[in-house]
Amino acid sequence: MKRWPGYVFAGVILIFLLALPLLTGSRATLNLFTHIFIFSIFAMSYNLLLGYTGIVSFGHALFFGSGAYLIGLLLKNAGPGLPTVLGGIIAAALFALVVSLVIGALSLRVRDVYFAMLTLAFGELFFIAALKLRTFTGGEDGFSFSVPPMLQDRVLYYYLALLIFMLISWFLRVFVSSPAGAVLQAIRENEQRAAALGYDVFRYKLISTVVAGVLASLAGALYGLQQRFVSASVLALDKTMDALMMTIIGGSGTLFGPVVGAALVSFAQEWFTRLARAYTIFERWLILFGLVYILIVLFFPGGLLQAWQRLAPGKRTRPGTVPVPSQPAAAGEKQELTATRETSP
Amino acid sequence: MDTFINLFTNGIATGMAVFLLAVGLSIIFGLMSVLNLSHGALFMWGAYVGAWIFGLTHNFLLAVLGAVFAGAVIGTILERVTISRVYGNHILQLLLTMGLMIVLGELIKVVWGPNILISPVPQILSGSWDFGGIILIKFRMFTIAVGLLVALAVYLLLKRTMLGIVVRAGVENPEMVQALGFDIRKVFTLVFALGAGLAALGGAIMGPLGGAISPSMGLDNQLLAFVVVVIGGLGSFVGSLAGALLVGLIGAFVAWFIPEAALAVNVLLMAVVLLLKPTGLFGGGGV
Repeated sequence: MKRWPGYVFAGVILIFLLALPLLTGSRATLNLFTHIFIFSIFAMSYNLLLGYTGIVSFGHALFFGSGAYLIGLLLKNAGPGLPTVLGGIIAAALFALVVSLVIGALSLRVRDVYFAMLTLAFGELFFIAALKLRTFTGGEDGFSFSVPPMLQDRVLYYYLALLIFMLISWFLRVFVSSPAGAVLQAIRENEQRAAALGYDVFRYKLISTVVAGVLASLAGALYGLQQRFVSASVLALDKTMDALMMTIIGGSGTLFGPVVGAALVSFAQEWFTRLARAYTIFERWLILFGLVYILIVLFFPGGLLQAWQRLAPGKRTRPGTVPVPSQPAAAGEKQELTATRETSP
Repeated sequence: MDTFINLFTNGIATGMAVFLLAVGLSIIFGLMSVLNLSHGALFMWGAYVGAWIFGLTHNFLLAVLGAVFAGAVIGTILERVTISRVYGNHILQLLLTMGLMIVLGELIKVVWGPNILISPVPQILSGSWDFGGIILIKFRMFTIAVGLLVALAVYLLLKRTMLGIVVRAGVENPEMVQALGFDIRKVFTLVFALGAGLAALGGAIMGPLGGAISPSMGLDNQLLAFVVVVIGGLGSFVGSLAGALLVGLIGAFVAWFIPEAALAVNVLLMAVVLLLKPTGLFGGGGV
C-alpha cells in the first residue's frame, strides 16, 4: 500500500492548523486548539506507557499537575519574565525526571496490578497534599498568576503550543522506532520473551516511565501558562482519566491515536460545557465518555482510529497496533486458566 | 485515656468498614485475578442507597439490606455484562474497571447530586454508653460487632461450605476445579456479587459512621482498601482483616496528631511492604 496519502493528509491538516489564526479571529477557537495541542502531548506521553510499553499507570496526573504547579509557583513568586518561564519549564522537567525515577524504581518491581495500585496511590497522595497545603498551593481555590506579555498573545501562544506539539510528536516518532522503542514494544507483546532475549526489562520500563513523566510535566507547564491559573484539580485523577480516555478512544499503540482522541474529547467537552449552561444534566457528560470508553475497551481495543481502518472498505488493517489482543468471551476462560498458571510459580 | 479509647474504637470501627470493602476485593482478586477498581464505587453505592432508604423508611435494617441487595445486583450485572469478557487480560481488566468506576461514580452524582449529604445515625444506635468514665460511642460498637460477625460468617463460608471449598480450590488451581465438574464461571459471578454486596454493606455502615457521604468517598476508601490488601496480601482473608485493623488504627492515631499525614503514612506503609515483602504479610501468591 502506498504511504503518500497519509503524508498528504498530515500536510493538509498542518497547513490548516498553520492558517487557522488567519481564518478566525475567535479567541475561543484558538484556545480550544491550543488546549488540544497540550492535551495531545499529555495523551501521547500516556500512550508511550500504555500503548507502547503495556504499562497501566493511574498516577499520570502527578506529572502533569506538578508541571503546572511549578511554573505557576515560580511565576507567582518571582514575577512574570521569560527567564522565569524557561526556568520553570526546566524545573518542571527536572522534577518529573526525579519523581518518575523514584516512583518507577519503587513501583516497577512489582506486577502490573500492583503497579496500577501504587501509581494510583502516589497520584492521590500528591493530589491530597495539594488540597491540604493551602498556604502553598491554594488548595481547591488555587491561585492565578501573570505570564510575560509575549505569552499573553493568544495567536503567539497558539503557534508556540503547535510548535512544541510538532517537536514532541517528531521526538516520539523517532523514539518509538528507535531500538529502545522496539524493545518497549517487545515488552508490551511478551515481557518474559523480552527478558529471555537478554533485555533488562526493568531498565527499559524505567526509561519509558521517565520519558512519559517528563513529557507530561511539559504538557502541564504549557497548560499552566495557557490558563494562568492552577488549582489542585490539575493533580486529580480526572486528569489521568482525560489522558486515558483520549488514548483509548483515539487508539493506543499508534502515534497519532491519542491526538485524534484529544481532539475528539476536547471538542466534545467544549460542546457539553456549553450545553450544560442550558441543561444541567449535561454537567454529567463524563458518563457518556465513560460508556464510550468502556465499549471501546471491550470491543475495539485498538481505538477509533483502528476501528475506522478496519471497518472502512479497502483500508488495510494494521496488525500489531493493538496493545493487548482482545479475547472473545468464550476463549477468555482458557486464557484465564493459563494466565494464572504462568504467574504462580 | 479518654482520647486513647476514643481513637482506638474509632480506628477499629473504621478498619471494620474498610475490611468489608477489602475482603471482597481480595477474594475477587484471589479467585479471578481481577483487580476490581470499581469496588470503591460499589461501596459508595451502598452508602447512598442505604442513606436513601433510611431517609424514606427510617428503618436501618431495611436500609442496610437494601444497600447490600443493590450492591450485589450491580455487581452481578457488571460481572456478567462486562468483566466476564476480559478474564485473563490484566491490562484490559484495569482499564475496564477504571471506566466502570467513573461511570458508577457519575451516576451517583446524577441521582443524588454532587454535594455532600448527611447520613444520619439511627435513633436506637445514636449516643454513647458510659462505663465508669469510659465512653463508648454506640454506632462504633455496632460497626465493630457487625464487622466481626461478617468476618466470622465469611470465614465459615470459606472454610465450612461447599461453595467455600470450591472458591478456595479455585484460588489454588482453577483448572482442577473445572475438571472436577464445577462451573467456575458461575462461581466467579457468585463471588463477584458477594464481594460487591460486602462492599455495599461497608458503605452503608461507613455513611452513618462518618456522618456524611460524598461522591469522593468511593475513591478515598478504595485507596485504603488497596493499602489493606497490599499489606495483608491479595487473596488472603486473614490478611484483609489484620491489614484493615492496622490501617484503621494508623489512620485514627496519625490523624489525631498530624491530620494531614494520615493517608501519606498509609501509602508509605504500602510502598514499604511492597518493597520488602511484595506478597504482603499474610499472602503467599506470586507478585
